[in-house]
Amino acid sequence: MNKVIVGGGQGFWGDSNDAAIHMVKKSNINYMACDYLAELTLSIMERQKLKNPERGYAGDFIGLLDQCGKEAFDRKIRIISNAGGMNIEGAVNAIRQVAERQGMHGYKIGYVQGDDMKSQIPELLRQGVDFKNIDDVGDFKDIQGDILNANVYFGHEPIVECLEGGADVTVTGRAADSALFLAPCVHELGWRADDWENLSRGIMAGHLLECGGQGAGGNYQYDWRGVPDMDQLGFPIAEIGNDDFIVTKAPGCGGVICEQSVKEQFLYEVHDPANYITPDVNVDISHATLTQAGENRVRVGNVHGKPRPDTLKLSIGYHAGYKVVTYLSFAWPDAYEKAQYAAEILRKKMERKGMKYEDVNVSYVGLNALHLGVADMSGDLIKNQNEVVLRIAIRTKEKSEAAKIIPEISPLQLNGPPGASFFGGRSHVQEVIGLWPTLIPRDAVKLTSRIVEVK
Amino acid sequence: MKEIYLKEIAHGRSGDKGDTSNVCVFARKPEYYAIIKREVTVEKVREYFGGMVKGSVTRYEVPSLNGFNFVMKHALGGGATLSLRLDSLGKSMGSAFMRMKIHVGDEEV
Repeated sequence: MNKVIVGGGQGFWGDSNDAAIHMVKKSNINYMACDYLAELTLSIMERQKLKNPERGYAGDFIGLLDQCGKEAFDRKIRIISNAGGMNIEGAVNAIRQVAERQGMHGYKIGYVQGDDMKSQIPELLRQGVDFKNIDDVGDFKDIQGDILNANVYFGHEPIVECLEGGADVTVTGRAADSALFLAPCVHELGWRADDWENLSRGIMAGHLLECGGQGAGGNYQYDWRGVPDMDQLGFPIAEIGNDDFIVTKAPGCGGVICEQSVKEQFLYEVHDPANYITPDVNVDISHATLTQAGENRVRVGNVHGKPRPDTLKLSIGYHAGYKVVTYLSFAWPDAYEKAQYAAEILRKKMERKGMKYEDVNVSYVGLNALHLGVADMSGDLIKNQNEVVLRIAIRTKEKSEAAKIIPEISPLQLNGPPGASFFGGRSHVQEVIGLWPTLIPRDAVKLTSRIVEVK
Repeated sequence: MKEIYLKEIAHGRSGDKGDTSNVCVFARKPEYYAIIKREVTVEKVREYFGGMVKGSVTRYEVPSLNGFNFVMKHALGGGATLSLRLDSLGKSMGSAFMRMKIHVGDEEV
């Protein structure tokens, strides 16, 4: 193969399946990669697994395979996903059940294990790894007893092993998002593990695809009104060869692939454009070029690569207390003034109960809850507001402290300023999970790739 | 000279990594790149966001894309998980950025 065509089927856990199914049915992709893991996702999955050992992976992926896995298998479209989360074997079992039910004989399921480093932390500490927070905050000793999960962001290599073994579907845990897309390029085009120039292009193709709809006109500031058929938004597809690469989308779906839409995703969640560090390569896009190469086709050029780092990012999730979020809406006239007064009442109640909290956030939805201090809060607009939603969020160390505020909210409908309406149902105390990003030596990580075949 | 919102001449998107917010900003026309470079300085961004951004602000320039990447640390109230903000991921930081007022010459825009 001198060109590999890869589609981005999911942008996050909870994304729509429509674009992925359309892509499998209507496009000429060779591979589809589906990203399910945001920074926090693994901690949530670990919590699920603790409650029920059968869970802890993205069940949505099993549903997606149920809907289009058979067709992908028949059309020889291979699927790669990090949906395995904290329970890769559980995900593999669930996939096997789908494949058996649908009569997909000979279907090969590849999987990668070894990103879960939690049990290895004590040994790594003994070896001198300091787990220093890369954002320079806090002391590791303070969170060490509260760790929920510790997963390393790994690169393309173990996924390529699965592909070499003939895997029709490959599931991983915390593979770096873009590695899911790079792996088919390496497998099909035969790139070497130190071919930084080519690897950097595969990574950037993945970067443009890994957020699903955001790569094709979703969350698009340049001209959101001009995006065709957003109700059936397609997701991006990359055509990657041994030169520049093309971003496009499947025929017959909505969305837009143009210079501006690709640009917005290009620097998204990148920090220094000359040093975009991934487990596979250090990418330099500081001189990259984007050119329209046809309708819904954008050519990406001048992407360069430098050697990958010797360390890998380890993301540690830890229990960090509790929070409660409450909402009360107030009506015209003087809606904002009433909401402010209600907030004052709640603050006084918190004080009287001696409620201990770490942080409190008061905002007014519709006025300043998104733009905070940058919001325009002056003039007649605020005075004549039809309605204002008071939002109070409180974070505490102890669950019992957070619980103290809940019985105080709904009584404000009868005991506070007029026109109040309780919003969104009774609040509940939620657990707060903190994230501790750190670096560990690459050679401390041992990953294994395996394949099971459906008879 | 006149005062306009940055959104008149720019577009972009915001993302998060922990408590760090990045907002990429692109000129709507190539000739606006120099205006953004002149008007949207690190100092101005820091002042504009005030207490909303508690850490450093860095501006990276990508002239081949007529764009910039602004990286703002300690900008999301503790980051996605700890943050008590409604927009804990800072998805709206990009639009907040575009609300910045800048000065342009009458002939420039």
